[in-house]
Amino acid sequence: MAAMSTSETTRDQGADANDGRATPVEGAGRIPDPRGVRVSLVHAAAGAEIAALVLEPPQIPVAPSPRIAGRGVLGGTGPIPPATPPDPDDHRHVLVDGQPAEAELIVLDGVRAILARGGPAGTRDQVLIMPPAPPSGAAAGLVRREVVVGGWRVELEIEPAARAALRERARRGREEVGHAGPTEVHAIIPGVVVSVSVAAGDPVAAGQQLLVVEAMKMQNELRAPRDGTIERVAVAAGRTIEVGDLLLVIS
Amino acid sequence: MATSRSDPALAPSLRKDDAGARPFRRVLVANRGEIAVRLIRACHELGMEAVAVYSDADAAAAHVRLADRAVRLGPAAPTESYLRIDAIVQAALDTGAQAIHPGYGFLAERAAFARAVEDAGLVFVGPPSAAIDALGDKLHARRTAAAVGVAAVPGTLEPAPLDRPDQVAGIVAEAERIGFPLLVKAAAGGGGRGMRRVAAAADLPAALVSGSREAASAFGDGSVYLEREISPARHIEVQLLGDVEGRVVAIGERDCSLQRRHQKLVEEAPAPGLTVEERVHLHEMAVRVASAAGLRNAATAEFLRAPDGTFYFLEVNTRLQVEHGVTELVTGLDIVREQLLLAAGRPLSPDALDAAARAATPFGHAIEVRISAEDPGRDFAPTPGRVTRWWMPSGPGVRVDTALEAGDRVPAEYDNLIAKVMVHAGDRGAAIDRLRRALDEVEVAGIQTTLPFHRFVARDTSFRAADLSTGWVGERWDGPADHRRAVEAAQLAAGLAAMDAAVAAGGVTAAPRPATATSATTSHGAGSADGRWHRSGLEAAQDRWPR
Repeated sequence: MAAMSTSETTRDQGADANDGRATPVEGAGRIPDPRGVRVSLVHAAAGAEIAALVLEPPQIPVAPSPRIAGRGVLGGTGPIPPATPPDPDDHRHVLVDGQPAEAELIVLDGVRAILARGGPAGTRDQVLIMPPAPPSGAAAGLVRREVVVGGWRVELEIEPAARAALRERARRGREEVGHAGPTEVHAIIPGVVVSVSVAAGDPVAAGQQLLVVEAMKMQNELRAPRDGTIERVAVAAGRTIEVGDLLLVIS
Repeated sequence: MATSRSDPALAPSLRKDDAGARPFRRVLVANRGEIAVRLIRACHELGMEAVAVYSDADAAAAHVRLADRAVRLGPAAPTESYLRIDAIVQAALDTGAQAIHPGYGFLAERAAFARAVEDAGLVFVGPPSAAIDALGDKLHARRTAAAVGVAAVPGTLEPAPLDRPDQVAGIVAEAERIGFPLLVKAAAGGGGRGMRRVAAAADLPAALVSGSREAASAFGDGSVYLEREISPARHIEVQLLGDVEGRVVAIGERDCSLQRRHQKLVEEAPAPGLTVEERVHLHEMAVRVASAAGLRNAATAEFLRAPDGTFYFLEVNTRLQVEHGVTELVTGLDIVREQLLLAAGRPLSPDALDAAARAATPFGHAIEVRISAEDPGRDFAPTPGRVTRWWMPSGPGVRVDTALEAGDRVPAEYDNLIAKVMVHAGDRGAAIDRLRRALDEVEVAGIQTTLPFHRFVARDTSFRAADLSTGWVGERWDGPADHRRAVEAAQLAAGLAAMDAAVAAGGVTAAPRPATATSATTSHGAGSADGRWHRSGLEAAQDRWPR
């Protein structure tokens, strides 16, 4: 292990991984595996909190078991008994949020894959894993991917778990110093702003109508996410907006 | 403008069949999307040329590519393109089209458009402008039905006066008489636009104003009226055809009860659970209203069926319906073809009369789901954008009407329907099985669609039991819960992919992966620094499947 970690520091993510190892995550009481990843939702819907998932390989050292190609089924020779101990990767054991689980991704082509869970008798989901988005603006080491399961399109952010743990601690530190900052309200649908019912300086109550956006001939009311005062209105009636555009700021 | 040099109609006919079967030489299709493609297909099957019109957002769209000619109308905004009556009529005159088919939406139910087409000496493929006036205006239609003894949903027969604040008290009193909850509806409406549900008198003034504003934006007419909400109700509609001699027939009904925000999501033919007598009675009522209003060509009479089995007349749509395909599947009739023949002044065809004769006993069962660019996990909010992957089902008994392919953009300016998946089978249970199978084949990425909702419907026991009502979606569908399950699976899949990618990139080799993953990946030599995953995995998959 020691030899491995020194060679690792020469790689771009090595510094982070190394830091993560030097200071164990509180509460967890164990060192996150440098190959672990944290997968979080990009646009988490308001109200429906979906926690990030931390995925790690099993912590037990896995002996490299020689795998015999095709187990003789395709080779024409008689069946060869599997190597002992049983190949631990046959259906992959991983740690999901610290709990051991059996999950395996069988990639069929560049996009289609099958997610098999719970061993041979478990569930199988057909998934589409779209090619990663070009790394624009995203922090280094962060990969964005679109995954489709059962018709649901999910945009995910994937980063090394060790990095995520570091970042999490840094954020918590900031919050302790902290102040409840202004809330930025962003567009969740594209369209045209039909009307704006508030102006800078107005007090607003949670649930109060802020503005109306028309998309596909339907008028959608945007309501205040919390009580506060309008600090700034960034759009005016008639403006065309895209998803993610800043609409207004509530302080 | 039109160059007649290459016009096949003027060349000696090489067609074996009677050239007289062709109702027109050239037809302009005044629409976009899947319905424009559907109409162009019918034109081509009849040996006619099709002229497309398009906005800047659709310059490379499928309907433009399929058409024999195409005319640009203007910028993307509907008011500057597909709603421009003058530009569309001029395009037809310039290209030598003899008829204009409006499809559904846009100008399909504007009497002014039909009149402009008629005045230009062209044929409007649809009911005459007078019938659109009488039936397309929901208030006119309610009065027409009342006159021929067909019961309409209780409510007002005149538009609510909104310009006079002093009359608000009068409207509220009227509303109390009708009873709450009630619906504010747009007289010129359709698709739930301008419609508001009002539970108490206090909410009525606000609903009238916002409903009227939306109606004015969508239809250019802000008139609204009040109607009692019938709940739970089934939404059942009757497909009608009429010829110039005034003969009107019903060729079957459809059940469109599964709706969200008064937008239909799933339609089927025939309506499950009706007796033959009920069907005959329903068809007869629809024919009575349509005949009284002077219907020609194709239209649909909509009814609500209350829990006690009473049918209430709702409105007549004087156009081809989105869901006409399910009726085509169970009757074997091509409704668009019939429309074009009827528009040319032909009497109802033997096929149409045949279909009418067995309207109450159709062939098998058909179901259509509307795949829309909407997020069923966020209250069906629109999700326009670029489609990066697009794979539609096929196989026995499956019909898909769409105009989309991978790489296309779903514009925010237009309707969000992107594909209609229809299935046909011997009975309703077999049709549901086929629907489930077909929807499992669909692959769409880039935008969220209503596919998860439809997959849920195809597996739901109460849908299979035909326990349908217009409130079904709100009662049965828990979008966020279904979404959460999918997100969890997606997180797992993305995480496993990323871990494999890290190994493939040779990033970390501590605790070496067992041979399968590493050997398969490194042999490709594609482990790139950005962690892209190039392993094909087919070998591994083949290895695992037999177990």
